[in-house]
Amino acid sequence: MPEAIEIQLKKGALELCVLALLSQHESYAYEIASKLSDSIGMGEGTIYPLMRRLQNERLVETHLVESSAGPSRKYYRLTEAGKASFASQKAAWASFSGAVQGILGGVK
Amino acid sequence: MTRQAFMTRLREGLAGLPSQTVADIVADYETHFADGAAAGRSEEDVAAALGDPGRLARELRAEAGLKAWEENRNPSGAAAAVFAVLGLGAIDILVLLPVLMGVAGAMFGIAVAVIAVFFAGGVVFAAGPFTGIPGGPAVAILAGIGLMSGAAALGAVLTICTIGLVNALVWYGRLHYRLLRPALEPQTVGVAR
Repeated sequence: MPEAIEIQLKKGALELCVLALLSQHESYAYEIASKLSDSIGMGEGTIYPLMRRLQNERLVETHLVESSAGPSRKYYRLTEAGKASFASQKAAWASFSGAVQGILGGVK
Repeated sequence: MTRQAFMTRLREGLAGLPSQTVADIVADYETHFADGAAAGRSEEDVAAALGDPGRLARELRAEAGLKAWEENRNPSGAAAAVFAVLGLGAIDILVLLPVLMGVAGAMFGIAVAVIAVFFAGGVVFAAGPFTGIPGGPAVAILAGIGLMSGAAALGAVLTICTIGLVNALVWYGRLHYRLLRPALEPQTVGVAR
């Protein structure tokens, strides 16, 4: 079932992508969701369970920012633990995807 | 699906969680619809992009249940974690269920037996000296104390086993919605070495 494999791949990579976006600058859920759904085609709703888990694991923290229009907005940023987790996951991803690519490259 | 229909189904799926948690989650999705509207998207469009509210609610419930167990390691936290894992409704959890019921049943049986032995010890301790059993009152009192402390020790071991079992279940539940994490983690260890 190629679809199932694709969903699992995306699900596994989603956390890494969110940490990567937040490592560049703090952001709010709608922005994260729309960026990720544009580029990797995930359901936008998936972001919320993920953000709650990252919060429970103390990898991200939230703070409210006053907005010019409407109510204040909840922004997410990485904690020190989140930065450390991103660095190790990024390294793991690089070596894993490199290894997979190496094997795929050898298959004609 | 309209915003209204989405939020109704989400709330239905979240029923039973602490009201503060539900309010937080609902506010997140309400903001999402408002942001979508501000970007010029229709409610149907935003709802479709969000995905199935029932499935989202299941994942959110699972996370909330596991968090409850990690924050308070007591029977209600354990129940929350067990229901969270069962709520994910994955097929292999259904396969696991009879085994789990067997283990939980055995543990419950042992717990009842432990309590019974404890009270029996109490009776021997209190009433034994007056029944004239061979060896005299001192033997009856010591036997009663022995039974009670044996039961207390077994109860403690049983509690440790129960905590271990719920922890294992939490680990299993987490595995279900972050399937690739376990595959990546050994890789991380390899890089660190």
